[in-house]
Amino acid sequence: MPTHSPDEAPAILELRGMTKRFGSVVACDDVDFVLKRGEIHGILGENGAGKSTLMRMVIGLILPDRGSILIDGKPCQIFDPVEAAKHGIAMVHQHYSLVNALTVWENVALGEEGPVDRAATRDLILSISERYGLEVDPDAHVRDLTAGLRQRVEIIKCLRREPRIIILDEPTAVLTPTESEHLFEVLREGVSKSGWTVALVSHKLNEVTQATDRITIMRDGRVVERVLTRETDAPTLARAMVGRPVALINEAAALGAATSGPVIKTVDRERDVGRDTESRPALEITDASLRAKDGAVLLDGLSLEVYPGEIVGIAGVEGNGQTPLARVLASLLPLEKGTVSVDGATVRTGVAGAMLSAGISVIPADRFHSGCVTEMTVAENLMVACIGKMSRSGVLQPDQVREQALTLIEEFGIHTPSPDTPLAQLSGGNQQRVVLARALCISPRVLVAHQPTRGLDVGAIEYVGDRLRAAAESGIGVLLLTTDLGELASLSHRIKVIYRGSIIGEMRRDELDMERLGLLLGGSQDGESAA
Amino acid sequence: MTHAPPPKLENVMVDSSNRRWSQLRDVTILYVLSIGAALTISGFLVAMTGNSAPKVLKALLDGAFLAPGRWGTTLSIAAPMLLVALGMVVGVKAGLFNIGQEGQLLMGALAMAFVGTKLQGAGLVLLIGGLTLGALAGGAYAGVAAVMRYRRGVPEVISTLLLVFIAFQIVGFAITTDWFLRDLDPNRPSKAVTSAPLPEGVRLPIIRIFGNEFHSGLVIALILAVIVAYVLARTVWGFKLRLLGQNVNVAQMIGVGAKKAGSLALFASGAFAGLAGAVMLAGGASSYRLTTGFSTNIGWQGLLVALLARSNPLAAIPMAVLFAALRTGAGFLAATGVDRKIVDVVQALLVLALLIPPAVQEIRMRRRARAAASGETSE
Repeated sequence: MPTHSPDEAPAILELRGMTKRFGSVVACDDVDFVLKRGEIHGILGENGAGKSTLMRMVIGLILPDRGSILIDGKPCQIFDPVEAAKHGIAMVHQHYSLVNALTVWENVALGEEGPVDRAATRDLILSISERYGLEVDPDAHVRDLTAGLRQRVEIIKCLRREPRIIILDEPTAVLTPTESEHLFEVLREGVSKSGWTVALVSHKLNEVTQATDRITIMRDGRVVERVLTRETDAPTLARAMVGRPVALINEAAALGAATSGPVIKTVDRERDVGRDTESRPALEITDASLRAKDGAVLLDGLSLEVYPGEIVGIAGVEGNGQTPLARVLASLLPLEKGTVSVDGATVRTGVAGAMLSAGISVIPADRFHSGCVTEMTVAENLMVACIGKMSRSGVLQPDQVREQALTLIEEFGIHTPSPDTPLAQLSGGNQQRVVLARALCISPRVLVAHQPTRGLDVGAIEYVGDRLRAAAESGIGVLLLTTDLGELASLSHRIKVIYRGSIIGEMRRDELDMERLGLLLGGSQDGESAA
Repeated sequence: MTHAPPPKLENVMVDSSNRRWSQLRDVTILYVLSIGAALTISGFLVAMTGNSAPKVLKALLDGAFLAPGRWGTTLSIAAPMLLVALGMVVGVKAGLFNIGQEGQLLMGALAMAFVGTKLQGAGLVLLIGGLTLGALAGGAYAGVAAVMRYRRGVPEVISTLLLVFIAFQIVGFAITTDWFLRDLDPNRPSKAVTSAPLPEGVRLPIIRIFGNEFHSGLVIALILAVIVAYVLARTVWGFKLRLLGQNVNVAQMIGVGAKKAGSLALFASGAFAGLAGAVMLAGGASSYRLTTGFSTNIGWQGLLVALLARSNPLAAIPMAVLFAALRTGAGFLAATGVDRKIVDVVQALLVLALLIPPAVQEIRMRRRARAAASGETSE
């Protein structure tokens, strides 16, 4: 299937056999990549597919373990971004590196050598602005600018060096659709008028199909397909992007049970049919809306319900509202609008402990930030959620604390020298078991699991999956937020897709359609109405 | 002093007892080295001023403990220092750095002076009322910082510190104002502007043993040290406080709101300093009179005591005695002809010497944690 461009423009940049490992994870595995002069080249893939790693190796931010870089056919080594700049390569990063307290022109001047020349810098900004339609006020403070304008500043900083190759890493992540379209116009103009070559890293299907000439699709650190944009369409790309789960899940569904690897047993289909209408939801979120301090929309009229005994999976590309949602359900954030209720009773948001006492347990994505207390002992961490039970008239009962700790250590298979070992000394997998044990030991009504298997090894992943399934079987409503589609497909009874802070689609497990899922993940509203 | 590579789980389990021993050895070596260095430098300094180090050491020991009646004086000074340190510990455990004890202590002394000299009643009632009100005044004064922190986001490190300077002004105002606390007795012993002395009945009972005497505030401080240690280690309230100090998010999740619990912790922290001030006054500091310089750095030194005790309420007891001893010992230095400022330098060197080992340990632990974390996560 891999097709190569018929128009034989010369390669401006060629990567051969690029390989990079982080610990046991292979981020890029023997990747070949060709960028042809004057094209806009999309690099498409899920989170963690290796797109950013590949591009960072080109710019010299990450040194490859193996592989060679050829620019204009000549091999060269790029050790840092300065070296890359000498070769005319520049990158606009996903996260901006601007100083908020400084003005636009000061930020642009930061990278310059020699004395700061205000007039010259302002003139430079104005000329770049005019030439490429990147309007921005050089005297504005960066902190006052919207995300879109900040990106313009970032792009201007990058254009100042008149690069030949421009790499953009997820440039539209924070842009409005109009801003995105404008950005693509700018890129097109730059290509036709100024001889740019552009590499556009993205996981959004529609923008890749709209803005690029050729597409390289990556999955699990490898290139899986190379296609001409005009010869493909979004559904084909979606299938290629999420590739492996399609095969896996179809097989599993066909056989009625999954047998391989960390894939959990197929959910009993009888049980979830008809459940929706009978009982009252364990968790119901209605019209939840929330904005960040800088005005960015975090949750946008999100509604969902989780019934007792089911696992509802929330699929979505990272940064589409999963973290704010989990934080709201952990009492860490208040909603601006909308309600959260457990078994029909409304719970106040943003009030310390309110969600927990209403029966919502949360396994947070970031263990260290809000999951556990690494400076405290294993036993102390395990008692955090049920201090009431561990004490008598305000005095802790050490025997009870120890006993519960030993029980949970046994039950959840936590490997620790003793209950009094500081949590920091445990491995990540065991820390996660502690978090899991803590979340489940209070017999919650609702269990929210946010990226519960991130960074765990296969055995631990399987264990967590089993636990979630067992929790659901015992009548707990489970809300699973994860970017791992395989995990979602194997665990969830229902899958909902979150995009820009709201639910834009839903499908039952037995009607799982990876192509449609891929489209929803990329934000395309499908024709058929979500159930 | 080997630097361990990031531990794997199995290694942790097998090595944990081994490592504890090697850690203990490392810590001991570190302490011996750093205290040795501090004493050597101190010795050089003394020699440079033309004195002999042994003579100075003897003077210090005489002043602090050996000369008649001296250790009683030392303990009298240790008591308020210990109280201040306990307040610091309570704050630090909750993740709050109240460094305004000097001011809170003054407010406590002011409340004690007011109750003792302006109110009528039985001596014991006034004494207990004064101590209580002193604690409340110190707590309320720290409470100002709590309000500023949780309403407006002003860091408590800054607000508590700045409130110290206002406290000095308030005390100055109180003792120079006729209707407030100023002593208007024409027969007063000195011309200095002070408050009236606490009446006989409103003073802390003096304990006399082995020819030494100290005020019973020491007993209060020791009892409170034990109580604070117990509360922090064994009660729900103490656990929640520590949780707040360790991980604000987890605390919020299980129902310990930073605003409420943090304000309470700051209040308690200030209350200990306020009580320290009340105890000092009722214990006879500056002849039972409130003066402008009444606090005499006890607030600052109590803070160092807590720091050196590494926020352990029981370890604060010997540290408080050590610091009190350096103060009383310095009183005898003048007789040897050594500038008493040299004691400040020695004291500072000792503080550094005692702080270096835990700091080294901390840095190592962080480095280890970071190494472990970066080995685990990627992309």
